[in-house]
Amino acid sequence: MYSRLLARLLDWTLRLDVAINRVYPEDFNPLYYTGGLANLFLTVLVLSGIFLFLYYIPSFDDAYRSVQFITVDVPYGQIIRGIHRYAADGFMIAVLLHFFRNWFTDRFRFSRDEPWISGMMLLLFAGFLGVTGYVLVWDERGQLLVAMTGRTLGAVPWFGAWLQTQWQGSAGISNLLLPRMLYLHVGPAVMLYILLWWHYVRIRHPKVWPPAVWTLFSLGLIFLLTGLVPATSQPAARPETVPTTLAVDWLFLLPYVGLKVLSPLALIALAVVITVYGLYIPYQLPETPAALGLRDSGIAQVVDANCTGCELCYYDCPYNAIVMVPSPHPGVTKAAQARKLFAIVLESRCVECGICIGACPFEALELPRFLERDVQEKVVQACRS
Amino acid sequence: MNDRETRYSTWIIVLALVSMAAVVAIAWGEVAGQRLVAGGAVGVILLAYSFILLFLRKGGFTGV
Repeated sequence: MYSRLLARLLDWTLRLDVAINRVYPEDFNPLYYTGGLANLFLTVLVLSGIFLFLYYIPSFDDAYRSVQFITVDVPYGQIIRGIHRYAADGFMIAVLLHFFRNWFTDRFRFSRDEPWISGMMLLLFAGFLGVTGYVLVWDERGQLLVAMTGRTLGAVPWFGAWLQTQWQGSAGISNLLLPRMLYLHVGPAVMLYILLWWHYVRIRHPKVWPPAVWTLFSLGLIFLLTGLVPATSQPAARPETVPTTLAVDWLFLLPYVGLKVLSPLALIALAVVITVYGLYIPYQLPETPAALGLRDSGIAQVVDANCTGCELCYYDCPYNAIVMVPSPHPGVTKAAQARKLFAIVLESRCVECGICIGACPFEALELPRFLERDVQEKVVQACRS
Repeated sequence: MNDRETRYSTWIIVLALVSMAAVVAIAWGEVAGQRLVAGGAVGVILLAYSFILLFLRKGGFTGV
Protein backbone atom coordinates (compact mmCIF):
# COMPACT_ATOMS: atom_id res chain seq x y z
CA MET A 1 0.00 0.00 0.00
CA TYR A 2 2.82 2.37 0.93
CA SER A 3 4.58 1.57 -2.37
CA ARG A 4 1.36 2.29 -4.30
CA LEU A 5 0.94 5.60 -2.45
CA LEU A 6 4.55 6.56 -3.25
CA ALA A 7 4.03 5.63 -6.91
CA ARG A 8 0.95 7.85 -7.06
CA LEU A 9 2.76 10.73 -5.34
CA LEU A 10 5.63 10.32 -7.80
CA ASP A 11 3.15 10.49 -10.67
CA TRP A 12 1.61 13.71 -9.30
CA THR A 13 5.05 15.24 -8.73
CA LEU A 14 6.12 14.50 -12.29
CA ARG A 15 2.83 15.87 -13.65
CA LEU A 16 3.48 19.06 -11.66
CA ASP A 17 6.98 19.21 -13.17
CA VAL A 18 5.54 18.89 -16.67
CA ALA A 19 2.95 21.59 -15.97
CA ILE A 20 5.60 24.00 -14.64
CA ASN A 21 7.89 23.23 -17.57
CA ARG A 22 5.16 24.45 -19.90
CA VAL A 23 5.39 27.89 -18.27
CA TYR A 24 9.09 28.08 -17.46
CA PRO A 25 12.08 26.83 -19.47
CA GLU A 26 13.10 23.48 -17.99
CA ASP A 27 16.29 24.76 -16.39
CA PHE A 28 14.25 27.47 -14.63
CA ASN A 29 11.78 25.07 -12.99
CA PRO A 30 11.87 26.16 -9.32
CA LEU A 31 11.14 22.64 -8.09
CA TYR A 32 14.54 21.57 -9.42
CA TYR A 33 16.21 24.15 -7.18
CA THR A 34 14.44 23.82 -3.83
CA GLY A 35 17.75 22.95 -2.15
CA GLY A 36 19.49 25.90 -3.79
CA LEU A 37 16.64 28.20 -2.77
CA ALA A 38 16.92 27.00 0.83
CA ASN A 39 20.65 27.74 0.72
CA LEU A 40 19.96 31.22 -0.69
CA PHE A 41 17.48 31.99 2.10
CA LEU A 42 19.92 30.63 4.69
CA THR A 43 22.63 32.97 3.41
CA VAL A 44 20.22 35.92 3.63
CA LEU A 45 19.31 34.81 7.16
CA VAL A 46 22.94 34.69 8.27
CA LEU A 47 23.81 38.10 6.79
CA SER A 48 20.71 39.84 8.18
CA GLY A 49 21.17 37.94 11.47
CA ILE A 50 24.69 39.34 11.88
CA PHE A 51 23.27 42.86 11.47
CA LEU A 52 20.56 42.23 14.09
CA PHE A 53 23.07 40.58 16.44
CA LEU A 54 25.12 43.79 16.57
CA TYR A 55 22.21 45.69 18.16
CA TYR A 56 20.45 43.00 20.18
CA ILE A 57 20.77 43.01 23.99
CA PRO A 58 19.88 39.62 25.57
CA SER A 59 18.45 40.69 28.92
CA PHE A 60 14.90 40.88 30.30
CA ASP A 61 15.03 44.64 30.64
CA ASP A 62 16.62 45.46 27.32
CA ALA A 63 15.75 42.72 24.81
CA TYR A 64 12.36 44.09 23.75
CA ARG A 65 13.67 47.65 23.83
CA SER A 66 16.67 46.73 21.65
CA VAL A 67 14.39 45.08 19.09
CA GLN A 68 12.22 48.21 19.04
CA PHE A 69 15.39 50.31 18.71
CA ILE A 70 16.43 48.23 15.67
CA THR A 71 12.95 48.62 14.19
CA VAL A 72 12.45 52.33 14.76
CA ASP A 73 15.81 54.05 15.19
CA VAL A 74 18.48 52.07 13.34
CA PRO A 75 18.71 53.15 9.68
CA TYR A 76 17.18 50.37 7.55
CA GLY A 77 16.73 48.36 10.77
CA GLN A 78 13.08 47.59 10.11
CA ILE A 79 13.89 46.47 6.57
CA ILE A 80 16.68 44.17 7.76
CA ARG A 81 14.42 42.77 10.47
CA GLY A 82 11.72 42.13 7.88
CA ILE A 83 14.25 40.49 5.57
CA HIS A 84 15.33 38.20 8.44
CA ARG A 85 11.70 37.37 9.19
CA TYR A 86 10.59 36.60 5.64
CA ALA A 87 13.83 34.83 4.68
CA ALA A 88 13.11 32.46 7.59
CA ASP A 89 9.68 31.71 6.11
CA GLY A 90 11.22 31.26 2.67
CA PHE A 91 13.86 28.94 4.09
CA MET A 92 11.26 26.75 5.78
CA ILE A 93 9.03 26.62 2.69
CA ALA A 94 12.01 25.72 0.46
CA VAL A 95 13.20 23.05 2.90
CA LEU A 96 9.73 21.50 3.14
CA LEU A 97 9.34 21.49 -0.66
CA HIS A 98 12.80 19.93 -0.94
CA PHE A 99 11.85 17.30 1.65
CA PHE A 100 8.55 16.30 0.03
CA ARG A 101 9.90 16.37 -3.51
CA ASN A 102 12.79 14.08 -2.63
CA TRP A 103 10.48 11.82 -0.68
CA PHE A 104 7.94 11.53 -3.49
CA THR A 105 10.62 10.97 -6.14
CA ASP A 106 12.40 8.22 -4.21
CA ARG A 107 15.60 10.21 -3.82
CA PHE A 108 16.56 8.66 -0.53
CA ARG A 109 17.69 5.22 -1.61
CA PHE A 110 21.11 3.65 -2.00
CA SER A 111 23.81 6.25 -1.43
CA ARG A 112 21.27 8.97 -0.86
CA ASP A 113 20.42 7.89 2.66
CA GLU A 114 23.06 10.20 4.14
CA PRO A 115 21.75 13.35 2.41
CA TRP A 116 18.29 12.29 3.63
CA ILE A 117 19.37 11.85 7.26
CA SER A 118 21.33 15.12 7.27
CA GLY A 119 18.36 16.81 5.58
CA MET A 120 16.01 15.61 8.31
CA MET A 121 18.37 17.02 10.91
CA LEU A 122 18.54 20.31 9.00
CA LEU A 123 14.74 20.46 9.08
CA LEU A 124 14.64 19.85 12.84
CA PHE A 125 17.34 22.44 13.51
CA ALA A 126 15.54 24.95 11.29
CA GLY A 127 12.30 24.50 13.24
CA PHE A 128 14.15 24.90 16.54
CA LEU A 129 15.88 28.06 15.27
CA GLY A 130 12.51 29.55 14.40
CA VAL A 131 11.23 29.02 17.94
CA THR A 132 14.33 30.50 19.60
CA GLY A 133 14.16 33.42 17.16
CA TYR A 134 10.63 34.22 18.30
CA VAL A 135 11.67 34.01 21.96
CA LEU A 136 14.51 36.49 21.43
CA VAL A 137 12.04 39.28 20.61
CA TRP A 138 10.82 38.82 24.18
CA ASP A 139 7.28 39.95 23.57
CA GLU A 140 4.15 38.16 24.78
CA ARG A 141 4.58 35.44 22.16
CA GLY A 142 8.18 34.82 23.19
CA GLN A 143 7.19 34.65 26.84
CA LEU A 144 4.39 32.18 26.08
CA LEU A 145 6.70 30.03 23.94
CA VAL A 146 9.17 29.75 26.82
CA ALA A 147 6.39 28.70 29.18
CA MET A 148 4.82 26.20 26.75
CA THR A 149 8.17 24.67 25.74
CA GLY A 150 9.29 24.42 29.38
CA ARG A 151 6.03 22.74 30.37
CA THR A 152 6.24 20.31 27.46
CA LEU A 153 9.85 19.38 28.15
CA GLY A 154 9.03 19.02 31.84
CA ALA A 155 6.51 16.30 30.95
CA VAL A 156 9.23 13.99 29.64
CA PRO A 157 9.49 11.01 32.02
CA TRP A 158 12.56 10.78 34.31
CA PHE A 159 14.64 13.66 33.01
CA GLY A 160 11.93 16.21 32.20
CA ALA A 161 12.98 18.56 35.00
CA TRP A 162 16.56 18.45 33.73
CA LEU A 163 15.45 19.27 30.17
CA GLN A 164 13.31 22.15 31.44
CA THR A 165 16.29 23.55 33.33
CA GLN A 166 18.49 23.24 30.24
CA TRP A 167 15.89 25.12 28.21
CA GLN A 168 15.39 27.95 30.68
CA GLY A 169 18.88 28.14 32.16
CA SER A 170 17.52 27.67 35.71
CA ALA A 171 14.62 26.04 37.55
CA GLY A 172 12.43 29.12 37.04
CA ILE A 173 12.57 32.01 34.60
CA SER A 174 15.75 33.99 35.29
CA ASN A 175 18.02 36.49 33.60
CA LEU A 176 19.98 33.56 32.17
CA LEU A 177 17.13 32.78 29.78
CA LEU A 178 17.75 35.24 26.95
CA PRO A 179 21.55 34.82 26.73
CA ARG A 180 20.83 31.09 26.55
CA MET A 181 18.21 31.66 23.84
CA LEU A 182 20.67 33.78 21.89
CA TYR A 183 23.19 30.96 22.10
CA LEU A 184 20.53 28.41 21.12
CA HIS A 185 19.68 30.61 18.13
CA VAL A 186 23.21 31.29 16.91
CA GLY A 187 24.82 27.96 17.86
CA PRO A 188 22.45 25.73 15.86
CA ALA A 189 22.75 28.20 12.96
CA VAL A 190 26.45 27.33 12.85
CA MET A 191 25.48 23.67 13.18
CA LEU A 192 23.33 24.07 10.07
CA TYR A 193 26.47 24.64 8.00
CA ILE A 194 28.12 21.51 9.42
CA LEU A 195 25.00 19.54 8.50
CA LEU A 196 25.00 21.19 5.07
CA TRP A 197 28.57 19.97 4.52
CA TRP A 198 27.39 16.47 5.39
CA HIS A 199 24.37 16.99 3.13
CA TYR A 200 26.54 17.88 0.14
CA VAL A 201 29.59 15.69 0.71
CA ARG A 202 28.21 12.65 -1.10
CA ILE A 203 26.85 14.62 -4.05
CA ARG A 204 29.20 15.44 -6.89
CA HIS A 205 27.31 18.34 -8.47
CA PRO A 206 24.87 19.74 -5.92
CA LYS A 207 22.75 22.65 -7.15
CA VAL A 208 23.91 24.95 -4.37
CA TRP A 209 22.34 28.11 -5.82
CA PRO A 210 19.16 28.67 -7.79
CA PRO A 211 19.36 30.27 -11.25
CA ALA A 212 19.47 34.09 -11.44
CA VAL A 213 15.75 34.29 -12.23
CA TRP A 214 14.80 32.66 -8.94
CA THR A 215 17.51 34.40 -6.93
CA LEU A 216 16.15 37.77 -8.06
CA PHE A 217 12.55 36.66 -7.58
CA SER A 218 13.16 35.35 -4.05
CA LEU A 219 15.10 38.41 -2.92
CA GLY A 220 12.55 40.67 -4.56
CA LEU A 221 9.66 38.94 -2.83
CA ILE A 222 11.41 39.27 0.55
CA PHE A 223 11.99 43.00 0.05
CA LEU A 224 8.45 43.56 -1.23
CA LEU A 225 6.88 41.72 1.72
CA THR A 226 9.14 43.67 4.08
CA GLY A 227 7.76 46.90 2.64
CA LEU A 228 4.12 45.80 2.47
CA VAL A 229 3.81 43.84 5.74
CA PRO A 230 6.58 45.03 8.08
CA ALA A 231 7.75 42.68 10.82
CA THR A 232 6.38 43.85 14.15
CA SER A 233 6.49 42.76 17.79
CA GLN A 234 3.61 41.97 20.06
CA PRO A 235 3.28 43.83 23.39
CA ALA A 236 6.34 43.44 25.62
CA ALA A 237 6.55 40.41 27.90
CA ARG A 238 5.47 40.97 31.49
CA PRO A 239 7.02 38.52 33.95
CA GLU A 240 4.14 38.85 36.41
CA THR A 241 1.52 37.54 33.94
CA VAL A 242 1.86 34.80 31.35
CA PRO A 243 -0.30 35.48 28.26
CA THR A 244 -2.84 32.83 27.33
CA THR A 245 -3.24 33.28 23.57
CA LEU A 246 -0.46 32.32 21.16
CA ALA A 247 -0.11 34.23 17.90
CA VAL A 248 0.62 31.25 15.66
CA ASP A 249 3.18 31.20 12.89
CA TRP A 250 2.02 28.12 10.99
CA LEU A 251 5.46 27.38 9.57
CA PHE A 252 7.42 27.38 12.82
CA LEU A 253 4.94 27.10 15.65
CA LEU A 254 2.57 24.44 14.36
CA PRO A 255 3.54 21.90 17.08
CA TYR A 256 2.40 24.36 19.74
CA VAL A 257 -1.11 24.31 18.25
CA GLY A 258 -1.08 20.59 19.01
CA LEU A 259 -0.98 21.42 22.72
CA LYS A 260 -4.62 22.49 22.43
CA VAL A 261 -5.70 18.92 21.83
CA LEU A 262 -2.77 16.85 23.12
CA SER A 263 -1.13 16.59 26.49
CA PRO A 264 2.54 17.71 26.56
CA LEU A 265 3.66 14.09 26.91
CA ALA A 266 1.50 12.98 23.97
CA LEU A 267 2.93 15.83 21.86
CA ILE A 268 6.50 14.79 22.74
CA ALA A 269 5.66 11.16 21.89
CA LEU A 270 4.13 12.23 18.55
CA ALA A 271 7.18 14.36 17.71
CA VAL A 272 9.51 11.47 18.53
CA VAL A 273 7.47 9.04 16.40
CA ILE A 274 7.40 11.46 13.41
CA THR A 275 11.16 12.13 13.72
CA VAL A 276 12.10 8.46 14.03
CA TYR A 277 9.85 7.57 11.11
CA GLY A 278 11.41 10.37 9.04
CA LEU A 279 14.87 8.98 9.73
CA TYR A 280 13.65 5.46 8.90
CA ILE A 281 12.17 6.38 5.50
CA PRO A 282 15.32 5.48 3.48
CA TYR A 283 15.29 1.98 4.95
CA GLN A 284 11.56 1.32 4.87
CA LEU A 285 11.33 -0.18 1.41
CA PRO A 286 13.36 -3.20 0.31
CA GLU A 287 16.50 -2.19 -1.53
CA THR A 288 17.49 -5.34 -3.35
CA PRO A 289 17.71 -4.72 -7.09
CA ALA A 290 15.17 -7.49 -7.71
CA ALA A 291 12.66 -5.95 -5.32
CA LEU A 292 13.17 -2.60 -6.99
CA GLY A 293 12.77 -4.09 -10.42
CA LEU A 294 16.23 -2.86 -11.41
CA ARG A 295 18.83 -4.62 -13.47
CA ASP A 296 21.50 -6.21 -11.28
CA SER A 297 24.48 -4.68 -13.04
CA GLY A 298 27.18 -5.21 -10.43
CA ILE A 299 29.64 -2.66 -9.08
CA ALA A 300 31.37 -0.71 -11.88
CA GLN A 301 34.84 -2.02 -12.63
CA VAL A 302 37.82 -0.24 -14.12
CA VAL A 303 39.54 -1.92 -17.08
CA ASP A 304 43.15 -1.39 -16.08
CA ALA A 305 44.52 -1.70 -19.62
CA ASN A 306 42.28 1.06 -21.03
CA CYS A 307 42.16 3.69 -18.24
CA THR A 308 43.98 6.88 -19.31
CA GLY A 309 43.48 8.74 -16.00
CA CYS A 310 41.50 11.46 -17.80
CA GLU A 311 39.19 11.97 -14.76
CA LEU A 312 35.98 12.24 -16.82
CA CYS A 313 34.33 9.44 -14.82
CA TYR A 314 35.54 11.06 -11.60
CA TYR A 315 33.81 14.33 -12.49
CA ASP A 316 30.64 12.72 -13.83
CA CYS A 317 29.90 10.27 -11.01
CA PRO A 318 27.07 11.90 -9.00
CA TYR A 319 27.78 9.73 -5.96
CA ASN A 320 31.48 10.49 -5.46
CA ALA A 321 32.09 6.78 -5.99
CA ILE A 322 35.19 7.20 -8.15
CA VAL A 323 38.53 8.50 -6.86
CA MET A 324 41.72 9.10 -8.84
CA VAL A 325 44.99 7.73 -7.46
CA PRO A 326 48.57 7.87 -8.81
CA SER A 327 48.89 5.20 -11.46
CA PRO A 328 50.95 2.22 -10.20
CA HIS A 329 51.92 1.25 -13.77
CA PRO A 330 51.23 2.32 -17.37
CA GLY A 331 48.14 1.09 -19.19
CA VAL A 332 48.20 -1.15 -22.23
CA THR A 333 46.49 0.88 -24.94
CA LYS A 334 48.40 3.69 -26.58
CA ALA A 335 46.28 6.36 -24.88
CA ALA A 336 46.72 4.71 -21.48
CA GLN A 337 50.47 4.26 -21.61
CA ALA A 338 51.27 7.84 -20.56
CA ARG A 339 48.70 8.02 -17.76
CA LYS A 340 49.62 9.64 -14.46
CA LEU A 341 46.38 8.79 -12.65
CA PHE A 342 44.20 5.74 -12.36
CA ALA A 343 40.47 5.51 -11.52
CA ILE A 344 39.28 3.41 -8.58
CA VAL A 345 35.62 2.65 -7.82
CA LEU A 346 34.56 2.78 -4.17
CA GLU A 347 32.24 -0.20 -3.82
CA SER A 348 30.33 1.22 -0.87
CA ARG A 349 29.30 4.26 -2.90
CA CYS A 350 28.66 2.75 -6.34
CA VAL A 351 24.95 2.40 -7.14
CA GLU A 352 25.55 0.56 -10.43
CA CYS A 353 23.92 3.35 -12.43
CA GLY A 354 26.36 3.16 -15.37
CA ILE A 355 26.89 6.92 -15.71
CA CYS A 356 30.67 6.39 -15.60
CA ILE A 357 30.39 3.99 -18.56
CA GLY A 358 28.84 6.77 -20.60
CA ALA A 359 31.43 9.26 -19.37
CA CYS A 360 34.42 7.17 -20.42
CA PRO A 361 35.48 7.56 -24.08
CA PHE A 362 38.16 4.83 -23.72
CA GLU A 363 35.95 1.87 -22.74
CA ALA A 364 37.82 1.69 -19.47
CA LEU A 365 34.79 1.05 -17.27
CA GLU A 366 32.18 -1.66 -17.35
CA LEU A 367 29.31 -3.05 -15.32
CA PRO A 368 30.25 -6.73 -14.97
CA ARG A 369 26.71 -8.07 -15.38
CA PHE A 370 25.57 -5.51 -17.92
CA LEU A 371 28.29 -5.31 -20.57
CA GLU A 372 28.30 -3.04 -23.60
CA ARG A 373 27.39 -5.90 -25.89
CA ASP A 374 24.33 -6.59 -23.70
CA VAL A 375 23.26 -2.99 -24.14
CA GLN A 376 23.81 -3.19 -27.89
CA GLU A 377 21.74 -6.39 -28.08
CA LYS A 378 18.91 -4.75 -26.16
CA VAL A 379 19.02 -1.71 -28.42
CA VAL A 380 18.94 -3.88 -31.53
CA GLN A 381 16.05 -5.92 -30.11
CA ALA A 382 14.17 -2.78 -29.20
CA CYS A 383 14.70 -1.38 -32.69
CA ARG A 384 13.47 -4.58 -34.30
CA SER A 385 10.38 -4.80 -32.14
CA MET B 1 10.79 40.11 -35.18
CA ASN B 2 8.22 37.35 -35.03
CA ASP B 3 5.06 37.46 -32.92
CA ARG B 4 6.64 35.78 -29.93
CA GLU B 5 9.59 38.15 -29.85
CA THR B 6 7.31 41.16 -30.20
CA ARG B 7 5.08 39.98 -27.37
CA TYR B 8 7.93 39.40 -24.94
CA SER B 9 9.73 42.58 -26.01
CA THR B 10 6.64 44.56 -25.06
CA TRP B 11 6.56 42.94 -21.63
CA ILE B 12 10.27 43.59 -21.14
CA ILE B 13 9.80 47.27 -21.94
CA VAL B 14 6.86 47.49 -19.54
CA LEU B 15 8.92 45.88 -16.78
CA ALA B 16 11.85 48.19 -17.48
CA LEU B 17 9.49 51.16 -17.06
CA VAL B 18 8.15 49.66 -13.81
CA SER B 19 11.76 49.34 -12.61
CA MET B 20 12.41 52.98 -13.41
CA ALA B 21 9.30 53.97 -11.44
CA ALA B 22 10.59 51.86 -8.55
CA VAL B 23 13.93 53.72 -8.68
CA VAL B 24 12.00 56.98 -8.33
CA ALA B 25 10.10 55.43 -5.40
CA ILE B 26 13.41 54.52 -3.72
CA ALA B 27 14.69 58.07 -4.09
CA TRP B 28 11.40 59.48 -2.77
CA GLY B 29 11.41 57.02 0.12
CA GLU B 30 14.91 58.12 1.15
CA VAL B 31 14.10 61.83 0.89
CA ALA B 32 10.77 61.50 2.71
CA GLY B 33 12.11 59.12 5.36
CA GLN B 34 9.74 56.37 4.13
CA ARG B 35 12.31 53.60 4.13
CA LEU B 36 9.72 50.83 4.02
CA VAL B 37 8.54 52.24 0.71
CA ALA B 38 12.15 52.29 -0.47
CA GLY B 39 12.61 48.67 0.67
CA GLY B 40 9.43 47.58 -1.07
CA ALA B 41 10.55 49.37 -4.22
CA VAL B 42 13.85 47.47 -4.14
CA GLY B 43 11.71 44.35 -4.09
CA VAL B 44 9.72 45.56 -7.10
CA ILE B 45 12.94 46.15 -9.04
CA LEU B 46 14.31 42.70 -8.22
CA LEU B 47 11.00 41.05 -9.15
CA ALA B 48 10.86 43.01 -12.40
CA TYR B 49 14.43 41.97 -13.23
CA SER B 50 13.60 38.33 -12.56
CA PHE B 51 10.71 38.48 -15.03
CA ILE B 52 12.84 40.39 -17.54
CA LEU B 53 15.36 37.54 -17.41
CA LEU B 54 12.56 35.03 -17.84
CA PHE B 55 11.03 36.87 -20.78
CA LEU B 56 14.43 37.35 -22.43
CA ARG B 57 14.72 33.58 -22.35
CA LYS B 58 11.15 32.83 -23.39
CA GLY B 59 11.35 35.36 -26.17
CA GLY B 60 14.40 33.59 -27.53
CA PHE B 61 16.75 36.55 -26.97
CA THR B 62 19.07 34.59 -24.64
CA GLY B 63 19.86 30.96 -23.87
CA VAL B 64 19.06 27.89 -25.89
